[in-house]
Amino acid sequence: MSVELDVFVGNTTIMDEEVYQFWLDGYTVNDAVKVRMEGGVLEECEASAEVLRSDTMDQYRTFQMCERLLHSPAKLANQLLFQIPPHRQAMLIERYYTFDGVFVREVLGKKLSKGTKKDLDDVSAKTGVTLKSCRRQFDNFKRVFKVVEELKGPLVENIRQHFLLSDKLARDYAAIVFFANNRFETGKKKLHYLTFQDFAFCAGQLISNWTVGALDNMVEDMDVDLEKEFLQDLKELKILITDKDLLDQHKSLVCTALRGKTKAFNEMEANFKNLSRGLVNIAAKLTNTKDVRDFFIDLVEKFIEPCRSDKWTAGDMRLYLTHYTNSAHILDTFKHQVVWDRYMGVIKSCILKMCTLCRGQ
Amino acid sequence: MGSGGSVGKEAGPLKTLLRQHTQSALEQREFPIFTLTCFPPGFLVHVGGVVSTRSVKLLDRIHNPDEPETRDAWWEEIRQEIKSHAKALGCHAVVGYSESTSICEEVCILSASGTAAMLNPRFMREGCLDIGGSDHRLSRQPHPGMVGSERGEGEVSSTWLGFEDASPPSCGFVHIPYDEFNMPFPAQLTYCYHCRRQKVPDVLFTTIDLPAEAEVTGKGCLIQARLCRTKKKAQGEVNATSISNLLPFMEYELHTQLMNKLKLRSMNALFGLRIQISVGENMLLGLASATGVYLSALPAPGGIQIAGKTPSDLSYDQHISTIQKRIDDTIAKNKELYNIHPPECIEEVVGSPIPDRQRSSRLFRSTSESSDELSELDLSHGKKDAFVLEIDDTDAVEDIQSLLTDAPIPAGFYSCNTEVMPGIHNWTSGLQMFTSVRVYRLSNANLTNQGLNKIFTDLCENLLKSLYFKLRSMIPCCLCHLNFTVAVPEEELIQVAVTAVAMSFDKETQQAADRALTRGSGENEEQLQFSMELCGESTISNNQPTAKPSGVPESAMVHSSRAPSVDYGSFADRCSTWLELLRLKAHTIRRGSVKTSRRTQLLAHSVSSSERCSPLPEGRSRSLRSTRSLPCGAPVTVVKMTPLSFLPGTRIVKYLGIINMFFIRETTSLREEGGVSGFLHSFIAEVFAMVRAHVAALGGNALVSYSMKECVFMENPNKNQAQCLINVSGDAVIFIRESDQEAIPPLLTSRQTSGTGADGTT
Repeated sequence: MSVELDVFVGNTTIMDEEVYQFWLDGYTVNDAVKVRMEGGVLEECEASAEVLRSDTMDQYRTFQMCERLLHSPAKLANQLLFQIPPHRQAMLIERYYTFDGVFVREVLGKKLSKGTKKDLDDVSAKTGVTLKSCRRQFDNFKRVFKVVEELKGPLVENIRQHFLLSDKLARDYAAIVFFANNRFETGKKKLHYLTFQDFAFCAGQLISNWTVGALDNMVEDMDVDLEKEFLQDLKELKILITDKDLLDQHKSLVCTALRGKTKAFNEMEANFKNLSRGLVNIAAKLTNTKDVRDFFIDLVEKFIEPCRSDKWTAGDMRLYLTHYTNSAHILDTFKHQVVWDRYMGVIKSCILKMCTLCRGQ
Repeated sequence: MGSGGSVGKEAGPLKTLLRQHTQSALEQREFPIFTLTCFPPGFLVHVGGVVSTRSVKLLDRIHNPDEPETRDAWWEEIRQEIKSHAKALGCHAVVGYSESTSICEEVCILSASGTAAMLNPRFMREGCLDIGGSDHRLSRQPHPGMVGSERGEGEVSSTWLGFEDASPPSCGFVHIPYDEFNMPFPAQLTYCYHCRRQKVPDVLFTTIDLPAEAEVTGKGCLIQARLCRTKKKAQGEVNATSISNLLPFMEYELHTQLMNKLKLRSMNALFGLRIQISVGENMLLGLASATGVYLSALPAPGGIQIAGKTPSDLSYDQHISTIQKRIDDTIAKNKELYNIHPPECIEEVVGSPIPDRQRSSRLFRSTSESSDELSELDLSHGKKDAFVLEIDDTDAVEDIQSLLTDAPIPAGFYSCNTEVMPGIHNWTSGLQMFTSVRVYRLSNANLTNQGLNKIFTDLCENLLKSLYFKLRSMIPCCLCHLNFTVAVPEEELIQVAVTAVAMSFDKETQQAADRALTRGSGENEEQLQFSMELCGESTISNNQPTAKPSGVPESAMVHSSRAPSVDYGSFADRCSTWLELLRLKAHTIRRGSVKTSRRTQLLAHSVSSSERCSPLPEGRSRSLRSTRSLPCGAPVTVVKMTPLSFLPGTRIVKYLGIINMFFIRETTSLREEGGVSGFLHSFIAEVFAMVRAHVAALGGNALVSYSMKECVFMENPNKNQAQCLINVSGDAVIFIRESDQEAIPPLLTSRQTSGTGADGTT
């Protein structure tokens, strides 16, 4: 005797969140049943393994049928096939678009292309996330990327509206899209200590300060690309290191402000020119796409690592960067205050985010 | 059964009188048969029991298959037989009647069953049954005022009153309609435990829903008897004969199973009994479902006693006593589970009222022509306090095993196949209608009857278990209207389809729930439906002046609300206007606290007239449009579906018509669609979606009385093909939440309307 056919259809579609998670995580029906049995649903409801299996199969089928709707979540609210209460719909969407931190870290900044998708089995093996789940997450990234690429208006808002995601998740996706678009290098060993959330924070900073959309709200592609003009303007900052007087003046102003306030003062004084050169050079090179990709690497190599070897604390860095930024305003011959603030504001918060974590190392 | 009518001749004078009065009204009808299962209080005077008939026919013997004559003649035969069965039980009508067929190749089993009943003559006067006008509506209310109004009509009505007095409504329907000294079958009679005046049987089986007035102890539960019988493959006449020969035995076995399970649950009555027999090429399937309850008016059931045939062996005795113990334990446990604690009253043993004369009548009965009739009743289990099960062969052992292996229902769940579960009243609005279909393949061709039985029983049990598991989030909840359909689509395949609704209820207030109140609301729901019809009529008859200003001819408007080509947008508009007005009016009525019939009738009139005022004032209609929740580009309307006639916690304010749809789906890419399960799953989901869309298009927000009448599934996996036909139907309605109730005339107002209104009109 064998079950040839077994279906259950409710007028309101029944969905078990636990099973949904198994499905999203790419468990096979058998594995899901095994885990559920260990989870103790059986004792709770006096059901047999067979019952559990039938239930799991049913739910998997339902999810599979829903999947195509989840690809454009707005459709979920307007489709007629499944009657799902709104809060359930929100749960389905949110969970479907939720991704694993370890997985996204692997593909962050990579081109969302077929080639990358082909390598997902390696990523799966490395991260322990099932291939099925990897594919879903990758496809989600790609789908969001494709949709917002064409849209005007703020990136986060677009993602939230088109995919009906929560604010937090929409911000994360904005970061992923931003990284994928600018192809920031995140895979180098020196950057391994950074989590996705660190990068997401930095992406948020870059999006809200360095893109076209940061100034004007209705420009195409505004949040995805860095503003060209701004990048051009950044070249002007070079004067801070090329002009010997200006460099010395800047140094003395910073040193005066810092004296006696930190144990690392000597190192700061000794390293000032080096560090300043590093930061200004990063700025000057950003017109070059190749150098944009190395932005985070550069920050680590040119600033964070030297500071770290000098045993600066996070407080030291904050102090130094604050004074380093502010002192430039007092320089009479330095005329690029606006660009400087726009640049240093982001650099400061990115470095602080990236170094608070390196402290633990 | 030509002598059936004579049974009543010796009955008491009261019954004779009653019979005479009702006979004229009913007897004129060729078939005094009602398919309804739910009746207004007082409609059922007595209920005799289940009557059923089956007939095996050969379809290839029809001379002109395209013409309905032969088939009509078959059904007529069957209805006549049902009618005569009812007569044999001293009843003049059949209620809760249904017909079904099962076809395999050229053999067809026609089945019909119903409940023999004696109906209240008040409902039977000329034309009442056919037209059911306002008069009918009024008589649904067992209101003292109304009875008073009828008293003037002469001797006849006072006789009815006299009869009415003789059997109080809460237990009257269980009193035997047949003559106790000339019973059509042996049964143990006692005096009614409620009124102590009339005789009642020890067990009552019916196909109807539990009448609202019935008093029930504890809760009810779904009881199923399942049976599988193999038969040899054969053709034509031989096949038909072998099926005919099997049928009586199957009915008997199913009945025995039902009886055993009923006793095991310490209950004494079955409602909603539905016995389905399906024929396949090499087997017959029988599935009986019913809702068991403990009727307070009937005597408490005795236990089950196991008796061994040959009590010589010591270990055998021991075996029997263990089984006996298990049974006793189960009964005790079930009493707890279903909360059956009847008040211990002094046992007034009437003794067996079956004198020797009875024997002769039995003999007489056995000479009747049909062999497979009335098998439900053709059992002599009476005269014994306990129900004795004899273990005389392996079959019996199997039976007892299966009796005891029925899995207990998980905590927090109840189930029934009737509209609602007796004993549960405080439903919440949590509702989940579902359909589940399973097909089992019997891999082993050489199965014995026992083996098949086991498989079939497991199939049903597992299906139920799955349902409980799926719906565990709704606990505490009750699966209502559990409707099983079995079929043998192919050799070695068994298909079971279940449609039901899970309704959650409030456990906390369950104990405190006021039964009368809930019942009242149930009645009033019908009430509202009726008063709306009244609106339509009265607008035409006496509300002409009010309606005139709308500038639209009355009749045309009435038409437009029913016509299929209605512009639903404006229709929806009208509905919401109607609701709005109802609310407004209700407010004024409440504030004025004048709950007279005149006022309410006025309300009904003005509401109906304004409903017809479709050209709304510009500003008003816009404001309504903004607040209403009807489909209008907005997100998809939520449409509730239920197989029941009501939605708990809501009030149906408008019936929009029947939805009856057939769907056929075929696939030639079965594997790609996820196999048979994937195919059927999406098909059923789409059927639901289409039904919901139709309801929404009519401006409705729910479908009640939903049923899946047909679900025929065929597959050919080798060709990667499958086909499925589904037929569903139900009534599209508009409901409103009872929490918005202050807007609606309170229950009592509408009740009084009809009650006191009667004074004026009759």
